[in-house]
Amino acid sequence: MAPRGGAWSWLTTRDHKRIGIMYLVLTSAMLALGGFYAMAIRMELLTPGPTVMEAQTYNRMFTLHGVIMILLFMIPAIPGIFTNFFLPLMIGARDVAFPRLNLFSVYLYLAGALIAVYGMIQGGADTGWTFYTPYSTTTVTKVWPILLGGFTLGMASIVTGLNFIVTVHTLRAPGLTWMRLPLFVWSSYATSVIQVLATPVLGITLLLVAVENVFGFGVFDPARGGDPVLFQHLFWFYSHPAVYIMVLPAMGVVSEVLQAFARRNVFGYKAVAFSSLGIAFVGFFTWGHHLFTSGQSAVDAGIFGVLTMFVGVFTAIKVFNWTATLYRGSISFQTPFAYAIAFIFFVVFGGMTGVALATVALDVHWQDTYFVVAHFHFIMVGGTLTGFLAALHYWWPKMTGRMYSEKWGLVAAVFIFLGFNFTFVPQYLLGNAGMPRRYYSYPERFWALNVASSAGASVLAMGFVIVLAYLLLSLKYGPRAAANPWGSRGYEWMTPTPPPPENFLGQPTYPRPAHDYREAHPGQEGH
Amino acid sequence: MSAPPLDDHPVPHRGGVGRYLAVWAALIAFTAVTVAAARLQLPGGWALAVALAIAAVKSALVALFFMHLWDHGGANRLVLATSLFFVALLMGLVLADNATRFPLANPPTEATLRFMPPGPDPVAPAPPARR
Amino acid sequence: MSTSSEHVAHHFPDLETQAHAARLGMWLFLATEILLFAGLFTAYALYRMLFPSAFAGASGLIDTRMGALNTVVLITSSLTVALAYHFSRQGRGRAAAALLLATIALAGVFLVVKYVEYAHHIGAGHLPGRYYRYPALDVPGAAMFFTLYFLMTGLHGIHVVAGMGVLAWLAAGAWRGSYGGEYSTPLELGGMYWHLVDLVWIFLFPLLYLI
Repeated sequence: MAPRGGAWSWLTTRDHKRIGIMYLVLTSAMLALGGFYAMAIRMELLTPGPTVMEAQTYNRMFTLHGVIMILLFMIPAIPGIFTNFFLPLMIGARDVAFPRLNLFSVYLYLAGALIAVYGMIQGGADTGWTFYTPYSTTTVTKVWPILLGGFTLGMASIVTGLNFIVTVHTLRAPGLTWMRLPLFVWSSYATSVIQVLATPVLGITLLLVAVENVFGFGVFDPARGGDPVLFQHLFWFYSHPAVYIMVLPAMGVVSEVLQAFARRNVFGYKAVAFSSLGIAFVGFFTWGHHLFTSGQSAVDAGIFGVLTMFVGVFTAIKVFNWTATLYRGSISFQTPFAYAIAFIFFVVFGGMTGVALATVALDVHWQDTYFVVAHFHFIMVGGTLTGFLAALHYWWPKMTGRMYSEKWGLVAAVFIFLGFNFTFVPQYLLGNAGMPRRYYSYPERFWALNVASSAGASVLAMGFVIVLAYLLLSLKYGPRAAANPWGSRGYEWMTPTPPPPENFLGQPTYPRPAHDYREAHPGQEGH
Repeated sequence: MSAPPLDDHPVPHRGGVGRYLAVWAALIAFTAVTVAAARLQLPGGWALAVALAIAAVKSALVALFFMHLWDHGGANRLVLATSLFFVALLMGLVLADNATRFPLANPPTEATLRFMPPGPDPVAPAPPARR
Repeated sequence: MSTSSEHVAHHFPDLETQAHAARLGMWLFLATEILLFAGLFTAYALYRMLFPSAFAGASGLIDTRMGALNTVVLITSSLTVALAYHFSRQGRGRAAAALLLATIALAGVFLVVKYVEYAHHIGAGHLPGRYYRYPALDVPGAAMFFTLYFLMTGLHGIHVVAGMGVLAWLAAGAWRGSYGGEYSTPLELGGMYWHLVDLVWIFLFPLLYLI
């Protein structure tokens, strides 16, 4: 973005592009903080027994790692940064439907983050990010600021999602029909639907826990007729679909990147577009698989187990279509493409272990072990974070007007790919061998694999440090980016770099589908 | 396939003061009906069913006429219908859980307390002092 | 179609699209409100299923007449706010402002009735959870009923108070003549919010007072 105006013009901006940049700065800071806690956890687990911290400190560390990574990074990052910046560019709109609300969501995010940070300074919660009752309603640690922060962040998330839904409905450029929307828009739309429908239930749940913690009304207290499992139902009604809030936008990014770097229109546009809505819909029917061992009835467990597996069907539709897109493509293996391929690998691996976990009998063995930890990190780090990096590298030239170093980009990608596998594959093995999650200590027979995991985490962290370094350097020393350095035919590349304040010079037109490379490759058939 | 019919075409508001007054009168009348129906002490689940049916009719009147869903269709109706569907989903699967559980896995109720042995609970610890 | 109005924001092609976007955004917001209350309604449904007789007994401790009175008050306030929007679209800003003030007054009546009820319950020991002190109905689940009663009516009451603020702001705007036939969107959205408050009460009344 071209620098214009002072700090005040940034703080009061209603330009969706500047708001996207503000989200980039804020969520990246939170990623660094969450990553710091992750490294602290891995450091502590380097040896059995105490290594560098007290057990109670450890409990707070993993709680804050979860809260920060999920509520302050994974959920707001891709929608806040990339959907904000690129959705209007992709549909030919001059801004999102409610620019002031958009700015408001940044401040809600900031307020939520500050409330949560206040809670951390006051000692932080030790409940885990899941806030399970009865512990969360009886703990003496500062759980209420974290809950209130979560509630505020939920409002920010709702506002963002609401804005995008209305924008897609009302501000598409003339001639841009639903069936021509770029796939990133479809997945962002599906994400927004989940944000609007699921987040309020988390809001009321967190409020109820805070009320319980402070007043003890007994909604979840069995001694007063309450059912703690009700808390888990309400919590996971949001928090399972929240996984799809995190991973769906990344899937949209991968759809865009694969088309751009394989020079090929996506195979099965409608299947990929509608599978996003399918994941969003089915994602709401699966929350009970977190309650298999919590006292939930066998009938409900069976229903939820079967429904969970449908998510695998929709994900597989995407994976098969992505792979078919690459077939006979003209692939240029650049950094964004490397991350997109890594995404597919991780999501297939994580998704298949997810289907295994959805089987009630197997879950009884794996519940609350490192197997679950490895599974969801494959989806969240391997999926969302890799998708985030793909988006960051693919769109960095459009957002900043600068090119980063391609060589260092690929080096960092190798670090991150290897580091990730060394961190989390051992955790699958640990979990299967019976190591429970969230424990401060472990028997010596788990030592070797824990060292491997901690070593992998350092390589992973190193990769992120490299990314941060060359991206920051590119802002000052990187060559100026052309309007379309990748030769992509995505709609967002049709505007100049940096995009003008109202996004387009004149009214954009859409004579061809996004990512239509047939002119360049006359032999290629359309979908 | 053509575009899904998600966008509505705004229509000017029809009807006037008369329509609002008629809806208001109907709402008051239904309130009286629901109070009267509660007095009847209907057996079993019928009292709940009747009360909820009347509440549903009343809320449909409010949504259709006071909130103009009758005039503005399309996406707005879809939003309301979707939200109600997800309310039903949440409530339905939670109730299905507790209704099909092993009864003693539910919070202690009048029905299950009689299975409890007399005397202090040997398993559960005493509740913390602060509560 | 009016494209010349000063009310059209720069990124909308015309006023009609803008009004449509505002309405759709408001419906999405109301959907989040519905799902916010859904958490409490689910808790109510669950505990009512587990403690049917305790809920019936505890519900008998609440004065149906008060609830019916408040239902009539809220329904009437919904009428006045709908009429305010109607008159505003006809350009009669003063009439709209008067009707909005009437709505605020009715909301005030609602809160006064609610206060009388709360004072009675607090005095009689009909209190949530561990604060419950009512030996005449000492069965498992009675305290839970009052937990839910206070949580649900409390959250609803917060929405009533917030709505009064919104309505006051709209009344000031209508009195100044900010709204008219071409542009009454804020009044429409504020009205929709108030109707939702009414909708929630339409379900709370039978569930808490009648059965």
